[in-house]
Amino acid sequence: MSVITAFAIATFTMPERIGVDASGMLWLLPLAASIAVVYKATKLQKIKAANFIKESTVLFCSIVVFMTITALVLLALSWLVT
Amino acid sequence: MPPRPKDKQVVLLLTVGLLAWLIPGAGHFILKEKRRAIIIFVTIVLTFAIGLYVGSIGVINPVTAKLAYSAQIMNSPMVAALGRFTVKARYSVFGKPNEVGQIYTGIAGLLNLLCIVNAVYLAHLRKTEPSGE
Repeated sequence: MSVITAFAIATFTMPERIGVDASGMLWLLPLAASIAVVYKATKLQKIKAANFIKESTVLFCSIVVFMTITALVLLALSWLVT
Repeated sequence: MPPRPKDKQVVLLLTVGLLAWLIPGAGHFILKEKRRAIIIFVTIVLTFAIGLYVGSIGVINPVTAKLAYSAQIMNSPMVAALGRFTVKARYSVFGKPNEVGQIYTGIAGLLNLLCIVNAVYLAHLRKTEPSGE
């Protein structure tokens, strides 16, 4: 087994270090992007690069904005309760 | 006796569904939706790989994380082999990496389930829609 292969396999056997601070929320972004891309790939009648990118970007932004609003509402609620 | 058209239709739908489960995007590929298939394959495999990279292969655990595993298995039946390996080798991961890894691999599986249903539906539509004659 070559060193590169061993290194590639090793990266999948040790978990990464992720902080529990607010920056951990950034992991939402790639996931939202993949959801937007796959959803639009199944929904659009015809896949054309420009239209596909536009539609996926709009959906991605909608998800992020909605999640941000939800987070802010929850933060406000927790601030009111505590 | 030759198979009836309805039997052929069922076989086609099952083949498309099974292929779409075996390899993400393969269902669309045999329906000649190549662009769709490539987008689906790349996105789902990448999402799944990010999940494994973040949380390690220990995030696939059919014993202690059954709910996440039921979503992860929708990626491909190969996940079952990986799950068996992680249980046997006692890979375990905890905390935030486990959460993020399970969410990524689980969502990748659920997205593939969406694609399986979509591919089967497309195959069904193509057989039932009027030929235009």
